[in-house]
Amino acid sequence: MQKEEKHLEASLEALIQRVSELKSSIGALIGKLEHEYETLNWPSVLDSFALLSGQLTSLGRVLKGDKVPALKNQLLLPILISPEIDESLGKLTEGRVMMFNHEIPPTYLRTKPQPEVEEKTQQLVTKATCLAQDLAHKQLNNLNKFTSNLMDLMNSTKEDWENDAGHKNSQPQMCSQDDTNLLVATALYGKDLRTTRPRHPKSPQIGMMQAQQANNRQNPVMTKAPSAIKTTIKSAAASHPYQRP
Amino acid sequence: MGVVCVYMYPVPEGKSGQQVVDSMQRQLELLGAVKTGNFNVDCETYLSNNPQGTPQRSLHLLHNSEQPASCFSVLDTGTTLVADVLFEVLMAKLTQSKSGKDGFYQQRKGFKIESKGPRFEISDFVIKIGSVSMASNFKGILVEVEYCPCAIPAECWDLMREMMQSFMGTVADTPPAIVKSKKDQFYTPADTINQYLEHFTNFRKATVASQQPR
Amino acid sequence: MDPSLHQALKTGIAPLHEYFLQGSILDASKEYLIHRLRGLCDHADSQPEQFNDHEMVFMLSGQQQAPFTVHLRHSLLAPECWHLRYVGVAEMGDKTRQTLVRTCLDVGVSETIIKFLNEMGFRMEYEFVARGIFFHKGIMKVTVTKMFKMNQVNDTKSLEPVSASHLVEVSVVASTSQEQIGEDMKNFAEQLKPLVLLEKVDHRKLQPVTSQTNT
Repeated sequence: MQKEEKHLEASLEALIQRVSELKSSIGALIGKLEHEYETLNWPSVLDSFALLSGQLTSLGRVLKGDKVPALKNQLLLPILISPEIDESLGKLTEGRVMMFNHEIPPTYLRTKPQPEVEEKTQQLVTKATCLAQDLAHKQLNNLNKFTSNLMDLMNSTKEDWENDAGHKNSQPQMCSQDDTNLLVATALYGKDLRTTRPRHPKSPQIGMMQAQQANNRQNPVMTKAPSAIKTTIKSAAASHPYQRP
Repeated sequence: MGVVCVYMYPVPEGKSGQQVVDSMQRQLELLGAVKTGNFNVDCETYLSNNPQGTPQRSLHLLHNSEQPASCFSVLDTGTTLVADVLFEVLMAKLTQSKSGKDGFYQQRKGFKIESKGPRFEISDFVIKIGSVSMASNFKGILVEVEYCPCAIPAECWDLMREMMQSFMGTVADTPPAIVKSKKDQFYTPADTINQYLEHFTNFRKATVASQQPR
Repeated sequence: MDPSLHQALKTGIAPLHEYFLQGSILDASKEYLIHRLRGLCDHADSQPEQFNDHEMVFMLSGQQQAPFTVHLRHSLLAPECWHLRYVGVAEMGDKTRQTLVRTCLDVGVSETIIKFLNEMGFRMEYEFVARGIFFHKGIMKVTVTKMFKMNQVNDTKSLEPVSASHLVEVSVVASTSQEQIGEDMKNFAEQLKPLVLLEKVDHRKLQPVTSQTNT
């Protein structure tokens, strides 16, 4: 008997811990919604939901676990009901329940749904049993078909996405350095544009004139200032289209 | 922008330029003109350092205070370019001499000529009386009259002549050559600049001619 | 005259510097880039602005002087718009500098400009058509340009693409050296990876064999 009691106490301890964790996460989510609603983003709300769902699952697991004795078999009865304010109770419930009077037990110690809810459930159950067997079967099949179709659709879309992403990764070639260089050189230096046709279509003799100038230039300078020659000839050559390779 | 006529107003013997300007200003004020500030048109001249074989070009760079964000460049061929005032910086780059070598163009020193003076408004007309000076020597007087509501010279010449003769007399008997040549076309600010340039060129020629005998 | 202009004239230095990065994108991936740019840049809700320009490059070469090049752009969409641009040599700088920097001068001009340049002694070196769209992000300008060769002189109808890519440029024109701009541009360029690699393209390596220097 004592062993069982100890067992119960330990499992209750575990339950209380889980529940209080759950409570604090809910508190955190509410706090977030109330105070950060201006800056709050969807991923962070999703995070909170994920946390809650995880905690609920683990609470469920504890309840169903082998170590917890069947709580259904335990009896719980109010021993003392008083209209006086009970401060220790207030503290325990963080000020939510200040006294344990006659109003409280029916709400807090309820083990069955409220009568009206129960009634509604009953109605649905009778409705369900009224349904013909084959009709129910048909509907079930329909639903199954629907769900599996939906699943297929989602899976194929997901595959497509993943393929797409994989495709992008395998082919990151969206730009080419060579093209960049070619385009910049074209804009800045007229690469490939000058060689395609005579440079001075309107006055073809200018090309000749410049060639002459280049020659004129070479000779006198040669004797005077050898250091300056190279650049002069070079720039003269630059202005003449026909000498370029 | 309307139609503009620019005339050289002769300074009679024995009178100073300032006296002529003053008497004309009094006359305009009697007509009811209101002075609305000053104006300024100036002109710098650049010469190309072209290699042999190509003709030397001269390029006139003008500003008009009426179009403060623009500058006007006129080549000796008559081609006129209207550009943002930054074009001048480009010109400066072309004039810049580098490592002892001359730039492509060079500025003619002491050749800057400008016309400046008061600006008047009288209903639809804007009148400017400019004293022309070159290297701070007084050269003469240019009177500019603009009729703002119209841009086609033929449409408003008679009206303008009547107005101009009321204070300039016979000086304004015929329209300036540029205005005459564009009688039925739209008149532009570049045409005004060309009128000024023509007068400036005449003043400069007169200066050279008067200096030569000495 | 504007004092800064006067100063510029006096020292012979243009007051403006252009900070820029260049890259390209293959035509097939252009739409992705446009999409991303529309998201990143200002006025995401309106259609990006288009341009279709005929660019002519004129050169003035002299006996002693290094050739002087100017780029003239004529809008084919708004034929009254002519724009003359001078750019200096792009400086790579060291690793600490995030962008290329060059002096630049942008001048709006009248339609007489071609005749004017020719009479001044300039000769047209080459021409091409640049078509594309541009975006703004603050003071940053982003252009995505398709460049075309012209099969016939002065014929902007018969065109042939230069390459299978679009040229992408991010640039800022500022009056003084402002290093913060470089940082901003680098960050922006990061956001366009891996679509476009915007980099400091070394122009010296792209220059034709014969040298031409502008300053």
